[in-house]
Amino acid sequence: MAYVSMGEAHRRITEYLNRFCDAVSYQDSSMLCRLLSFSSNSPSLLSLADALNVFQDASSLIRQSDKFSEYGEILAHLFRSLQSYRVGNLVEAYLAFEKFANAFVQEFRNWESAWALEALYVVCYEVRILAEKADKELTSNGKSPEKLKAAGSLLMKVFGVLAGKGPKRVGALYVTCQLFKTYFKLGTVNLCRSVIRSIETARIFDFEEFPRRDKVTYMYYTGRLEVFNENFPAADTKLSYALQHCNPKRERNIRMILKYLIPVKLSLGVIPKDELLQKYNLHEYMNVVQALRKGDLRLLRHALQEHEDRFLRSGVYLVLEKLELQVYQRLMKKIYIIQKLSDPARAHQLKLEVIAKALRWLEIDMDLDEVECIMTILIYKNLVKGYLAHKSKVVVLSKQDPFPKLNGKPVGS
Amino acid sequence: MNRRSRGSSSSSSSGSVGGASDSYRRRSDVPRNRSNDNTKGGDSADVSFIVGTCSSMCPERERVTRERLRDLSVFERLHGNPTKSSSDLAVKKFCRTLSAADVQASDVRPLSVLEETLSYLLSLLDSREHPFEVVHDFIFDRTRSIRQDLSIQNLASEGVIHLYEEIVKFHVISRQRLQGCSGTSISSMHHLNMEQLAKTLTTLYNIYDANRKPDYIYENEAEFRSLYVLLHLNTSSGVMGEPLSLWFRKLTSNLIKSKEMCFVRKLLRSYRNGNYRSFLRTTASEATYLQYCISEPHIREMRSFAVECINNVCYKLQPYPLLRLSHNLMMKEMDVESLCHECGLEIRTDSDGSIVLPTKQTNFCRPKEGFRNYDLIGIEVERLL
Repeated sequence: MAYVSMGEAHRRITEYLNRFCDAVSYQDSSMLCRLLSFSSNSPSLLSLADALNVFQDASSLIRQSDKFSEYGEILAHLFRSLQSYRVGNLVEAYLAFEKFANAFVQEFRNWESAWALEALYVVCYEVRILAEKADKELTSNGKSPEKLKAAGSLLMKVFGVLAGKGPKRVGALYVTCQLFKTYFKLGTVNLCRSVIRSIETARIFDFEEFPRRDKVTYMYYTGRLEVFNENFPAADTKLSYALQHCNPKRERNIRMILKYLIPVKLSLGVIPKDELLQKYNLHEYMNVVQALRKGDLRLLRHALQEHEDRFLRSGVYLVLEKLELQVYQRLMKKIYIIQKLSDPARAHQLKLEVIAKALRWLEIDMDLDEVECIMTILIYKNLVKGYLAHKSKVVVLSKQDPFPKLNGKPVGS
Repeated sequence: MNRRSRGSSSSSSSGSVGGASDSYRRRSDVPRNRSNDNTKGGDSADVSFIVGTCSSMCPERERVTRERLRDLSVFERLHGNPTKSSSDLAVKKFCRTLSAADVQASDVRPLSVLEETLSYLLSLLDSREHPFEVVHDFIFDRTRSIRQDLSIQNLASEGVIHLYEEIVKFHVISRQRLQGCSGTSISSMHHLNMEQLAKTLTTLYNIYDANRKPDYIYENEAEFRSLYVLLHLNTSSGVMGEPLSLWFRKLTSNLIKSKEMCFVRKLLRSYRNGNYRSFLRTTASEATYLQYCISEPHIREMRSFAVECINNVCYKLQPYPLLRLSHNLMMKEMDVESLCHECGLEIRTDSDGSIVLPTKQTNFCRPKEGFRNYDLIGIEVERLL
């Protein structure tokens, strides 16, 4: 820590206090944001923190002036948090920040206009980030991480402050997104439901009036939730919305959306171009897509195995595994096309024996009973049109459209 | 009152473990008797928990009270006397409205007594004297009380894993055996059994996690984890718990790659694709007894799905021989007949004397819940025992 004289410390603290009070009285939201943004690690905040650690008794400074003491509670907690933050004591920093946030939200509630919304966003963001850091510290000390959970409750409280009528409501979606991030991290995504309900059922506010950034984030997370519940058409709608409205310069965000949108589209029978996968560095889907194009079951299984960990962690594994039936469909179509070349008159008869042979080429050993089973399912789920003549062990394809496209509907619907 | 302070090594468990959210649990989450001051905010490492001193399966004062109130189960009556029990027979009942404040250490059994109690209870499973639902009802309640005693003392270390595993086993076996019972209350018993099974599993998983050592899986962990997958094969089954794609995210890769997990993932794939042939064959050749018990409803479901498919897609002029169906569905031919009837389909004898299922029948219906179970031919009985 750089040496700071007592006088210098006094000067820095007073300067901060003045700025804070001015920001509030002139309703200068962007100034307030800068004053609260811990994670920016801005030089002025860091030097303030050093000053606080030298001066120690900052609360006496706050008490000295009426101007400062009006926000005494807010400032005292904020200072204590900053001090702990500076010396790397993150749990203490979090606890003080939580108290600060509560006091700030209380004050925010009393302000009639929504001028400080951006500053409230900063508080919400910082409380979440700080909680994550504090939890890391707790875990490394062998203690149970519980601060992020606490931050979740706090954010829920903020949501309550915003979700009513009035000009502040426009901020509800930002807090919702912070809550989503918290719940996804904690693995308690079922808690998202009540927030979603309150956003989607409220008639006082049109969804389209929320800021675009928040709408995109919201659609991204709710789209992912639909993926987990395997509700693909809904997932498609939400993730596509996120993609369309996302800032095209934010490649990382686009990639995050595509990571979920691609499996969803695949399960609806829509195959992306290779260039798209390349452009956004989504190589893990290359072979899956190839497998679907070529009807190569072995390739699908390999691709799933190769990226098993990644797919399981992101939660798309089961979605991709379900593509198997579409791969079979493609394989049947290929056999049909090849037969058509050699014997057009009998091309619509697929012998189970031939199918088993094709699978053997792919190193998949399947007896005729299982081949029959697969064909039964394909016909039943309308991936193949025709019927099974079990005595002659042949699938007789319909002359018209024997391999119907999914047309944006999931298999078997 | 005798209380013990828990060190930080187990603190990670003190909040979440004991998810058997019996009404009791929540109370014991409330920090009491803090050893340091409160300024540090909810630091759960300093919570102390009661330590039981009751040395018999049932606290004396409960036994006396229940004798007086004639509140003794058939298993607790001394020589059949409804007002007399003994310390060898009485087992502490589950008490829902217990308040943490008035629990006495003398009412709570320490681990060693709980272990004895559980093995006594499970020995009753073999009793043929009473119908299974009576046996089940008794063990169901008393094991719940065991879990209550465990969580009130915050016992969540490695040493209690086998207790929870045994209790899970009891609920799994009950699931299967209750199917064979008749009586008006069976369906609600079944429902309650599934509920407690889910709760006990959650607690068990939390305990595995809380005691997790790097790259280590407990002896039976993979099998017990695999039960979760089998309970959630069907996304719309309404069984509580998170969807599988979320659940898998939290498993360590050791578990993911374990033999048991590979097996249930294979089943999952077959189930979701409708591959009844692979589903039945894999179950028959690889399922453990516990996995089989949980799979039974799915076996039933896959079979009726197969009948539905075959009826639907086969050439009308080629009725499907029941013998082949019995081979494909790994069941006795007689049982296939009965299954077809349950599905609302007619069967007939062909000109050559073989029994066949005429296809494209229009009145197929899904068999109702709780209909008969048919044997799975080819399952190796020895493996199951």
